[in-house]
Amino acid sequence: MEYFEPKTVNEALSVLAEHGAEAKVIAGGTDVMVDIKYKEEPGCLVNIKKLPGMTRIQENGSSLRIGALVTIHELELNPLVREKLPVLWEAAHQFASLQIRNTATLGGNICRASPSGETLAPLLVLEAKGRLAFSDGEKTEPFTSFFQGPGKSVLGTKGLLTEIDVPYPPSGSKSVYLKHAVRGAMDIAMVGVAVLITPDGGKNNMQDVRIGLGAVAPTPVRATKTEALLRGKPLTATLLKEAAALAASESSPISDQRSSAEYRRWIVEALTRRGLEQTWKAATGKEVA
Amino acid sequence: MSVTINTKINGRAVSASADASTSLLEFLRDTLEMKGSKLCCNTGECGACTVIYNGKPINSCVTMAADANGAEIITIEGLADGDKLHPVQQAFIDTGAVQCGYCTPGYIISVKALLDRTTKPTAEEIEEAVSGNICRCTGYNKIVDAIHLAAQKLQLR
Repeated sequence: MEYFEPKTVNEALSVLAEHGAEAKVIAGGTDVMVDIKYKEEPGCLVNIKKLPGMTRIQENGSSLRIGALVTIHELELNPLVREKLPVLWEAAHQFASLQIRNTATLGGNICRASPSGETLAPLLVLEAKGRLAFSDGEKTEPFTSFFQGPGKSVLGTKGLLTEIDVPYPPSGSKSVYLKHAVRGAMDIAMVGVAVLITPDGGKNNMQDVRIGLGAVAPTPVRATKTEALLRGKPLTATLLKEAAALAASESSPISDQRSSAEYRRWIVEALTRRGLEQTWKAATGKEVA
Repeated sequence: MSVTINTKINGRAVSASADASTSLLEFLRDTLEMKGSKLCCNTGECGACTVIYNGKPINSCVTMAADANGAEIITIEGLADGDKLHPVQQAFIDTGAVQCGYCTPGYIISVKALLDRTTKPTAEEIEEAVSGNICRCTGYNKIVDAIHLAAQKLQLR
């Protein structure tokens, strides 16, 4: 196995250009090291941990720009993340163990493109975008179109994610991230649901609703039909039931060692219902009518 | 491909080479013959391999040995002062928190990292600090007792 520790993004990109599909990018290593031990060694390992300028969290107007090498624990400890992006903070806080959070990076969690990646449903409802570097230039890509399947993204084998741009949600909005797993925080989510509700001026209706689903489709997804059903309306018990069922039907889970597809759909329904109820109350101060 | 690793382990400068695919745990155990950090799940889930890396507890089994370059690492071997055990080690003995002992080095490192951050940990902080460590003998209550005892001892020092 060849090994590279590029000093600049350009150097990293030229290594990737040269070695293409046999190259594997490694940052924290919490996933890639397991692959090396239990699956197979890549032909070439590109350690990007020391690339400069990718470990910052900076406020930029009404968004937060997070370097791809920021660790999950650094996210969790950042006061701006906690105050302005609570739904991302919740995911970081529930992310594996302290040991893993100290090593795993936000960029790694995204680029791994696992449908169950803990931060992904929150990033989708926050309408975050990735700054991608390719040898022929930079590109900004919303995460709604970044993921292409398990382990696959628009980065392909030659691109690098350098920064994550997360706009602050509208003022007055409330959000929640709910995760269902057997062994509490340590476990990979069977289902993760992120909900964000922005009420209208009179706090009578949902002006905007965003629902992100994790671990229940080949990529993390937004439940767009459910969002459309809810938008502009007050949350009633009937609507809540209908929306939760629709979200479950929008998911396309698989059966694996963590749970069956059928069970996952039930959980999507339950967590969507719970998430909508909680955020509606928090955003409007009203009970579900 | 072999990489040269210049690092500091338990305050001592160490220089050795290892293959790029080597984990920090393999580097410690197999290259440096430091067998205190344990190999168990090798996937970053059980915490038996926990070491302190630049002040933070991490799973050495899923960390590249190459990332030890320029870093400061503390392992279980670095805790005792000669024959005098570290207060966390002593507390694990005094409360009977050691059963088969395989998870113990990892626990002790996680607890040391916690008590380096605060000597008055809350119940929530204790739970968080060791949530990444598994004891397959399931002796969790005694481990929590040991953490309280170690915290008290360290406050008195």
